[in-house]
Amino acid sequence: MREIIQEFFKKTLTLRLFWLSTAVILLFILPLFISTAYISLISEMLIMALAGCALNLMMGYTGMVSFGPAGLYAVGAYTTALLLKKTGIPFAATMVAGPIMAGLVGAVVGWFCVRRTAVYFALLTLAFAQIIWTIFFEWYDFTGGDDGTVGFRKPELLLSINSSYYFILLIVIICLILLWIIVNSPFGKTLQAIRENPVRTEFIGVNVKRYQLYAFIISSLFLGAAGSLFAVFSGSVFPDYAHWIKSTDMIVICLLGGMYNFLGPVIGSAVYIFLSKLISGYTMYWMLFLGIIVVFLVLFMRNGIAGFISHKIAPLIQENKETEK
Amino acid sequence: MIEVEGLTKSFGGLTAIDNVYLKFKKRELSSIIGPNGAGKTTLFNLITGHLSPDQGKIIFNGRDITNLPPHEISRVGIGRSFQRQNIFPRLSTFENIQIALFSAKHINGKLFSQAKNMLRDETDEILESVGLTDKKLMQAGYLAYGDQKRLEIGIALAIEPQLLLLDEPTAGMSPRETIEITKLIKKLVKKRGLTLIFIEHDMDIVFGISEKVKVMHQGRIIFEGTPKQVKANAEVQKIYLGKDKK
Ligand SMILES: Nc1ncnc2c1ncn2[C@@H]1O[C@H](COP(=O)(O)OP(=O)(O)O)[C@@H](O)[C@H]1O
Ligand SMILES: [Mg+2]
Repeated sequence: MREIIQEFFKKTLTLRLFWLSTAVILLFILPLFISTAYISLISEMLIMALAGCALNLMMGYTGMVSFGPAGLYAVGAYTTALLLKKTGIPFAATMVAGPIMAGLVGAVVGWFCVRRTAVYFALLTLAFAQIIWTIFFEWYDFTGGDDGTVGFRKPELLLSINSSYYFILLIVIICLILLWIIVNSPFGKTLQAIRENPVRTEFIGVNVKRYQLYAFIISSLFLGAAGSLFAVFSGSVFPDYAHWIKSTDMIVICLLGGMYNFLGPVIGSAVYIFLSKLISGYTMYWMLFLGIIVVFLVLFMRNGIAGFISHKIAPLIQENKETEK
Repeated sequence: MIEVEGLTKSFGGLTAIDNVYLKFKKRELSSIIGPNGAGKTTLFNLITGHLSPDQGKIIFNGRDITNLPPHEISRVGIGRSFQRQNIFPRLSTFENIQIALFSAKHINGKLFSQAKNMLRDETDEILESVGLTDKKLMQAGYLAYGDQKRLEIGIALAIEPQLLLLDEPTAGMSPRETIEITKLIKKLVKKRGLTLIFIEHDMDIVFGISEKVKVMHQGRIIFEGTPKQVKANAEVQKIYLGKDKK
């Protein structure tokens, strides 16, 4: 623990952390300046940023491309929503139950999925997410089917848009810090070794399948957390949260922001959600634009926006620094 | 230390390893030579659990390790390098070694401590021993070919094996580099008291490094002896002169 704190302070002195803290402070004072419509947009960005980072633990760090993250996200959302609607247990408990349930479902789904690699892995994750979608859709008596689960209680504290924004901001920051600690731990480094070369990792004595399963479960926990947050943010939960379109959103957020950068999905989420609102506000052709974005990313910006900044722009700044010396 | 008994492995109709019996003593520096396609790599793949044999047994320090998964075989003390370079390309040279050490020390399950400065001295020591100290912050994928081969050896050493299996560690290197690497391997193996099995298709390279040489041809061991005996053996010469028309 002491190491972590020391590490934290050492990093604070570097420029990157300076910008990061500035951004966080800005996020905290933002409601003083802008309208609630934007605050709710940013809330959504924060939640999808968390979902993106959670997915990225699996995709960017472990090298397992999942097409079904939305399934686990929806498990978190439904768990919290249904508990709020049907039981009287404290709000905090419902917020914890979401991620835990998603983690449990993730353990089962992951157990099957890690037995296959690459495209078969991706297909399995997609299939499981569609199974989850079907359950929420068909189990009308319990989940409300395609009418969704709506009208559940919310603590008074979260009734205003601004206060729910602070709640979301706080939880997302805590989750991101936890994820950051995890990806920089020996465990996180081992996941990166698996991404780079699973066969070689096996031969340094790592049970690769088991570590992939752990990554799957941790990723599911945080996807579930994002889902729970979205449930209380929007006050309603629908089967489409588990739909592959939602999964695609998450994947594109990771790609757009940059998979090989911890904060990539955060940038990706902000840009993606901003664009989606902007474009779908003007035209009905969001899917067309989405297609164009994906084509552009894959052809020209393989490492996303964060990769573009750190490979193309940061070296320019670095050079300036060096010539100054 | 390690014994292979009646090992057999076929791929479709091709018998890559054909009823092989081998014995390697502790701290012995052995090599297996044979033309390309003789089955040398397949033998390593069987020993390290990458493939499972059709028949036969592998005994390591008195324990039957046949059919154990690779990660468990690594853990009992068998480290290997691969014929084609097999590193973690987008991680730094330092991290390549460090992660292998995490595994060796059973701490790669740690979730909440920061990896950056862990096992720094141990990692540096291995980097030093394979001559990569000044390239430790480089992304491993950008290392020169020869340095990647050194890194491979470093990774294999980092898991603290008793038995080291090296699959053509000098393949594709210049003659000068080849001499350097073989000297380095010999030094490291002696210093750490390891048992070494070294695969090579080029006969000349192994004579400097091995005490025992086993000659493999079409999945069989056709001759065993000291480098001198191998050189003098007519059958071995025939295989090499017949096949190795480079
Ligand atoms: N995984 C595999 N599947 C099918 N054939 C293989 C496989 N691995 C090796 N072989 C075949 O087995 C024979 C021995 O190969 P190998 O062990 O790589 O030889 P060496 O390392 O001595 O050059 C070759 O004919 C090769 O084509
Ligand atoms: Mg070979």
